[in-house]
Amino acid sequence: MDREKLIPLEKLNQLALTEEETERVLAAFAAMEAEEAQLAETDTSAVERMVFNIPLKNILREDAAEKNFTRDQLQEGAPEKMDGYWQVPRLVE
Amino acid sequence: MKYVTDMKAAAGKTVAVDDTILVKGVPATAGSKMLESFVPLFDAEAVTRLQSAGYTVSGKSNVGEFGLDVMGETSYFGPVTGENGSLRGAAAALVADGDADFALCTDLDGAPRRAAAAENIVFIKPTYGTVSRYGVIPCACSGEQIGVMAKTAAGAAELLSVIAGHDDKDGTSLPEKHYDYTASADVSGLRVGVCADYCGRASQETAEKVRAAAASLGVCEDVSDGRLMLARPAWRILLAGETCNNLSRYDGVKFGFRAEGYKNIDELYTMSRTQAFTLLTKMTILYGSDVLSKGRYDTCYDRSLRVRRVLRNAADELFGKYDVLAMPGCSKTAYTAEELGDSIDAVYAESLFTAFASILGLPAVTVGGIQLVADSMNDELLLSAAAALERR
Repeated sequence: MDREKLIPLEKLNQLALTEEETERVLAAFAAMEAEEAQLAETDTSAVERMVFNIPLKNILREDAAEKNFTRDQLQEGAPEKMDGYWQVPRLVE
Repeated sequence: MKYVTDMKAAAGKTVAVDDTILVKGVPATAGSKMLESFVPLFDAEAVTRLQSAGYTVSGKSNVGEFGLDVMGETSYFGPVTGENGSLRGAAAALVADGDADFALCTDLDGAPRRAAAAENIVFIKPTYGTVSRYGVIPCACSGEQIGVMAKTAAGAAELLSVIAGHDDKDGTSLPEKHYDYTASADVSGLRVGVCADYCGRASQETAEKVRAAAASLGVCEDVSDGRLMLARPAWRILLAGETCNNLSRYDGVKFGFRAEGYKNIDELYTMSRTQAFTLLTKMTILYGSDVLSKGRYDTCYDRSLRVRRVLRNAADELFGKYDVLAMPGCSKTAYTAEELGDSIDAVYAESLFTAFASILGLPAVTVGGIQLVADSMNDELLLSAAAALERR
């Protein structure tokens, strides 16, 4: 990882690091990438992926409408709201 | 189920609940500025169960941001420290000081295990899937698990028996409806493997404590298996990838922190996330995004999922020879906020000791300042071994 490759990751994740933070993150990446070499040395070509630690079975339920919360309740934590909607900056000029 | 039906047994007993676990109507911040004003509309399933059984939620316990740090030092609300300046995990401090009988804690990278070791109390991270994660603020879903902090192994067994059991609301919940961990398993002649590689990376005092505990439990011998050292880099990659995805929901729009002074929607997103998250969280998100990206996915994320299988195979072999593995839960038991700095290096160093149980969803118990790990579904054996250590 280097500064040039980090910038698009910041944009993608909607983060903006300071110069000092960038240095710190690059150092952390370097440490983790060094240890990634251990993984690369492990032959996993004949090994199946293990996504979960337990055998998962899909859980199905009736597709029935439920009304658990009111609109007002769901909007209690909204940073800004107006007339029952979440308010964001104007997207279309 | 003794403790589910016996309301008298629970009467007056208090439980502190980590701030990563939802309690209806009580702020749940996950230790983050992002969620400073978030008040949940429902209870976590584990909270519902303990309240139904007669236990009382006495309050929320401070956590590091999303539980990603060493033991709470990155909390937006500040760390908890003792009189000597050493860090204390909030839940562990409440239980150790007698301010709560128990605590429910989310363990995704070992923070409660380290905090319990520092206070010399008991914490069990149960087998993945035995306790519902419904109502946990998600971060690294394939390894995070609600566990129980208590002064004794018997206490941990009591509350774990109350909260464990299948929950339809959690897609990763195992089918067994109830578990009872309160009966004592026979631990005479226990076969204990001492993980020499981990001991070699901990302080001498901690390593000696592990060896002494293992020797007192039964027949013990050193184990050295290079595959175990793959757990940290593999879990770091999976944890970061999952964290990156889970924390993408925080954008300052529907709930949580919204920055001021933005000029457009992109600035709203970026300023809100940048101002709210700590550097440890930002770094974890960025690393997660990197390992999931084209060109890195196959060599990092996909490979880590395969390494998880390699580790599972190693666990099968080890638990064929040993009933439990003894290892440090942390390199040492006292830290100061100053020495941890931004926590990035420290949490990486400490996760060496906790990643094996995290990545495989194995039950792990902290007792007497050390960590015991057993194979999946052997939580009762683990708690009995912990109780035996307490009797030493």
